[in-house]
Amino acid sequence: MAEKPIPEQDPITGKSYAIHYLIATVILIGTLFWALYDEAWGQRPWKAFQDQWKDRYGAFLNTAKSSSAKSEQSVEQDPQYATLKQAYDQAYQESKTKGDESRKKLDDASARLLAVQSVFTDRRAYVNALTYELETSTSASSKASKQKEIDSYKAEQATVEFSDGSRKKFTFPQLEETYNEIRDERTKLSLELGDVLKPVTAAKAKMDDYISDHMVDLTPAQIEGLKKKTTDWDPTIVQINVAEANIVDRCESCHMGAREPLRITEAAMTSKGAKKPDEYAQAFVSHPEPELLQIHDPDKFGCSPCHQGNGRATTSVEKAHGNYEHWLWPLYPKENSQAGCQSCHSADMVLASGDVQWHTINDGKDLFRQRGCMGCHRYEGYDKEPEDLNSVGQQIKQIETQKKDDVKQAADLMKHADAAESNEEANKLNEKAIALKVANSKADGRLQQLDFQSHSLMQDQKKVGPNLKDVRLKLNKNWIPVWLKKPSDFRPTTKMPNFRLSDRQIQAISAYIWQTGFTDELPKQKPGNAAHGKELFESRGCLACHSIGEGDQMQGGVFSANLTRVGEKANYDYLVRWIHNARQRTRPYCPYEKKDIGPEDYAKKGLPYQFDLDHSRCPNDGHELQVQNMTVMPSLRLSPEDAEDIATYLMTQKKQEPSSYANAVFMDDPALKEEGKKWVRFYGCGGCHEISGMEDEGRIGTELTYEGSKPIERLDFALFTEVSQRGGKDSEPIKDKDDLARLPDGPATEPWYDHKGFFEHKLAEPNIYDQGKVKGETEALRMPNLHLTKDQVLDLTTFLLGSQETSLPQSYQYKPGDARHDIQEGWWVVKKYNCMGCHQFIPGQRTILMGLKQYQDVQEQLPPKLLTEGARVDPEWLRKFLSNPALSTTDTNRNGVRPYLKVRMPTFSFSDNELRKLVRFFEALSQQPLPYIPEEVPALTTKETDMARSLFSSTAAPCLKCHATGDATHDKIATAPNFLLAKERLKPDWVERWITDPQAVSPGTSMPSGLFKQQNNQWVFAGPTPPTFNGFEGDHRKLLTDYIFQLTAEEQRRVAASMPHARAAVQPSTNHKQAVVEAQHATNGGSR
Amino acid sequence: MDWRQLWEICSAPDNVPIVGLIPLLGFYIYLAVKQARANDQLIEQLEADPAMAKTHHRKTWPFKPGWAKEVHVWPFLLRIEFLAAIIVTIILMIWSITLNAPLEEPANPNLTMNPAKAPWYFLGLQEMLVYFDPWIAGVVMPTMIIIGLMVIPYIDTNPLGSGYYTWKQRKFSISTFMFGFVILWVAMIIIGTFIRGPGWQWFWPGQTWDHNRLIYEVNRDLPDLFGLTSNMAKAVFGGIVVVGFYLVGGGAVYSLFRRKMQKDFQRMSLLQFSLMAFLWLTMIALPLKMALRLLWHIKYVWITPWFNV
Repeated sequence: MAEKPIPEQDPITGKSYAIHYLIATVILIGTLFWALYDEAWGQRPWKAFQDQWKDRYGAFLNTAKSSSAKSEQSVEQDPQYATLKQAYDQAYQESKTKGDESRKKLDDASARLLAVQSVFTDRRAYVNALTYELETSTSASSKASKQKEIDSYKAEQATVEFSDGSRKKFTFPQLEETYNEIRDERTKLSLELGDVLKPVTAAKAKMDDYISDHMVDLTPAQIEGLKKKTTDWDPTIVQINVAEANIVDRCESCHMGAREPLRITEAAMTSKGAKKPDEYAQAFVSHPEPELLQIHDPDKFGCSPCHQGNGRATTSVEKAHGNYEHWLWPLYPKENSQAGCQSCHSADMVLASGDVQWHTINDGKDLFRQRGCMGCHRYEGYDKEPEDLNSVGQQIKQIETQKKDDVKQAADLMKHADAAESNEEANKLNEKAIALKVANSKADGRLQQLDFQSHSLMQDQKKVGPNLKDVRLKLNKNWIPVWLKKPSDFRPTTKMPNFRLSDRQIQAISAYIWQTGFTDELPKQKPGNAAHGKELFESRGCLACHSIGEGDQMQGGVFSANLTRVGEKANYDYLVRWIHNARQRTRPYCPYEKKDIGPEDYAKKGLPYQFDLDHSRCPNDGHELQVQNMTVMPSLRLSPEDAEDIATYLMTQKKQEPSSYANAVFMDDPALKEEGKKWVRFYGCGGCHEISGMEDEGRIGTELTYEGSKPIERLDFALFTEVSQRGGKDSEPIKDKDDLARLPDGPATEPWYDHKGFFEHKLAEPNIYDQGKVKGETEALRMPNLHLTKDQVLDLTTFLLGSQETSLPQSYQYKPGDARHDIQEGWWVVKKYNCMGCHQFIPGQRTILMGLKQYQDVQEQLPPKLLTEGARVDPEWLRKFLSNPALSTTDTNRNGVRPYLKVRMPTFSFSDNELRKLVRFFEALSQQPLPYIPEEVPALTTKETDMARSLFSSTAAPCLKCHATGDATHDKIATAPNFLLAKERLKPDWVERWITDPQAVSPGTSMPSGLFKQQNNQWVFAGPTPPTFNGFEGDHRKLLTDYIFQLTAEEQRRVAASMPHARAAVQPSTNHKQAVVEAQHATNGGSR
Repeated sequence: MDWRQLWEICSAPDNVPIVGLIPLLGFYIYLAVKQARANDQLIEQLEADPAMAKTHHRKTWPFKPGWAKEVHVWPFLLRIEFLAAIIVTIILMIWSITLNAPLEEPANPNLTMNPAKAPWYFLGLQEMLVYFDPWIAGVVMPTMIIIGLMVIPYIDTNPLGSGYYTWKQRKFSISTFMFGFVILWVAMIIIGTFIRGPGWQWFWPGQTWDHNRLIYEVNRDLPDLFGLTSNMAKAVFGGIVVVGFYLVGGGAVYSLFRRKMQKDFQRMSLLQFSLMAFLWLTMIALPLKMALRLLWHIKYVWITPWFNV
């Protein structure tokens, strides 16, 4: 201080703060305006969106309008429109004078009413107020005075000035009366006017309808309406509020175009001159799937239940989309948007709306099952059978114990009764004993029920992988360790994932599996004909599930194994048995005793060693046995020789000799067995395979039903927590080139600390979160690498993202109680057995066989399309057919309905449960009522029969030329089912529809269309009618249908004999070339 | 050095006040020290010149003839205070426009946040929980802080230094305040905000807050070092240590006052002095306990079935 000179002026009193105040005040006022701006726009960014919307959409509508006007003009050129227009003009002229007159009267009445009304309502209000005072006044005297006041007011005269200038005076009652009179008069007049104008409005409506029906887009008038709405729009929050589901979605405050009737694209919304669509253009597009919105009305469903995000937030795009740290339900990324379906449609296996299948989520759901994810991870709805079986087993055990106790107690009671002192007491004890016995017989009934249930469940229960109890019988021993090393090296498309096993683990696991395998003798099989085997393999339908060839050469389905190298691993004798009937087990398994039952157990009870679906009781305890291999592979009902041929062919499929595999002696080392058991259990092999000692192993993985709603903190990113939060070019931990290629979005550069990032990385390289960690063998992550493709990772990620515990009420869940429930359940079965590999269920759905080159020229050799199966066939027949597609117990080496198809409908041995589901599924899919009551087919008279027969066999409609007749030679070239099946199989009304227009029912069918034409409300034959029809007035189509339903074998034979074409067709059309080849083949003895 | 981590902590809306506090605190201490120095010089001058002391008109400004001996609150004080009010309003408005309230996800009792931190002004208290059991840190200590603040007017017998900055006349009060507020309160808030990461572990500024970090740290109780095992012995031992601390400390305070602050000491009654000494020693005990814990991993000194110190 001392250095500073002391000021002359007193600095406290002398200093001015004016400039400080000025600056501070200016800034303060500035912040005030800033605060106002922030309040009005800063915190309400949607206002900017709505302003932009008005500009851009308005401009868009202008261009849309001019093109719409053009197309409207072209519609107006139409002569049909001209007639309508003429009718309108005429109606207009006719009603013109009358209309004008009554309109004038109406205007006059309205004016008078208006004049009276204003005076009347004013005076009435005063009277009402006085009346209220009267009502509420307490003393009699004041009531009387009020009454007087009212009366005098009512008597007062009021002046009404009419619009023509005249004045008139009215008291209140007069006024009231006049008012009512004029009002009634006006109502009458407006009705009159309506009547007069009725023809005009009707003609006008017809014209407008015609235009909107014949225009692709909206009419100019409609667009004008939209434009007006857009220009008049005042910025406001657009909100969907559904109180019952607690939905408050303000998404449409920015996404103004989501529900507009026009299709709005990003390009259309991009402002002129801009290179890329900006955030406004991206926000204004219309919803890409308007059909979906029709099913899910946004006014009921909102937006966020499907898309997630924070529907209430309006302060920023980031907040509204929920993409900030603390919002638990961020918007699903665009490519995963189908995840939203899962929150309500978890019970559906296939999601399709109309002809559109939602592939991402459908494939995700399917992959979860097909790739065996459910072997380790529980997921509600998947693979229920083992759990149900378990609970049934426990109930059985409980009842058995109870029964034993009861028997013992009853015996005790009887004994006591014998020793009882008095008769009375003895009787009492006896009664008790009898009651216990009765209870026991009831328990027996319950046991029977449970056994029946477990019979079905046991049949339905399937494993993703093969039965490893059979390894010694089916596999090349030395091949096993090589396979375990990395299954995808041997077979790139295999479902078996790569467990990253050490050599020691491989040795131990193979030793355990080898040493616990069955050692039963297999019957030796003769070698077959490989060339014929190849032909059968390619034609019987194996390729609908299996594939053969690698890389570009691969053909067939991916549902089951690729068989390119099967010759290196398989044992021929076992392969023959497998092809002949894959379900045939080596030994049955008793879940009750938990052991495999052998011939010795049967011998002990003196029973023959026979087990199949009809002999499925355990000789030891009488409960249900697992008598089938738990595979979905069906029996193709091949003859043993055909099975040998196919097996011989498959054995030739190899790249190296089986003997070239290194000798794996360690597999017989008993010391390794125990260690192997540990590893087999550790890796949860029992989830997908049947393995001795592992039948009751639980799932080793975490439950995934609600994985998507797990808090992110519960997902262990391990050492990548920080890295994934920060993003950047070093944030991608996966180094392996193959695994990197599995990431749907490629290597990460953005932060990926979210569910999507976690799932994608986990699926691409399942042990990624072990990277950098020091872990022991038993601590490492166990999830194997499923070698998925990019798309599959995307599908599964979508599925998992959608696996959320939803906050929506139960009623939003898609759990229909009607026929749609049957569709839901049916899809699970259809997908389980890969029915879609051969058959078409949804229009536009491609089957695997359709894609094969051998069917390109012979479409009629493809399995039938099942689009209308429910409408076509009798449900009871369908049940029979599905349980035995040969429709015969003796002649099984054939198709029951279409013997001419080389591809074979296999026997899946469905359980009763699944049969019921499938039949109901088909009925529901075709919207058929259940139960089905067959229509009565009237018996034909002899004359009618003659007529029908002549039509049936006429040269214009030689039905038996193509339809099978049961004659072996003819059936070789037939391309349609036998008529004899119709009675039991088909629904008559469907047959009528079918023979009228087969192309409409099943596009691409070889059945000709146009056989009948409509004449005087009757369907008559379109070709030259046979002479017997002269004078016949009835419906030809109905006659023919009835005839078909009454056709007997004898009748058919007679007709066939009389027809020149029926037997061996003389001139086979080109379409039949394939059939002819087979016919020749048959004569050459190819088919044995 | 993880700059991103540092930036994340400093830029969190929660931490704006504490980040602002650090420079402001430095600035105001500087201002106070500057004024105190000027005053101290003036006091020296006036003490040397008793005549001038009679006519001197202001606390800090040197004497100047013609200046008013005193000035009115209005307008000379209030105009400055009002200006300050305007500036504070501006700051608050800009703050509230630019930074929203840091709301977090809906509470989930099954998934608590880590680290779970109190509001910044309570982080000092939360930090104390590391060194004492909740009963002491959460109830006894805060109560003592409040009581201590309340009794200041009654135990502060020094009549000097009211209404002006001075260091010379109030060395003890000022250093006690600086120690209690700046060293203990603010420093502990800074530790709680910048140093304590996931698992309430000690992360140096610029060290990544790694949720998976593992450290090896075994805490012992003081009696364990002496091989005491029975509860009784631990309680008695701890009691002796704590009572001993107060006795020895009390002696030290006494000798300090007797030697350095004779005047103050004479003005104090026995009750005033012993209350002051007790509170002062308790305050000193906190950093001592922190040091024991942080440097020598000693958890508790005095262990009883009812409380631990």
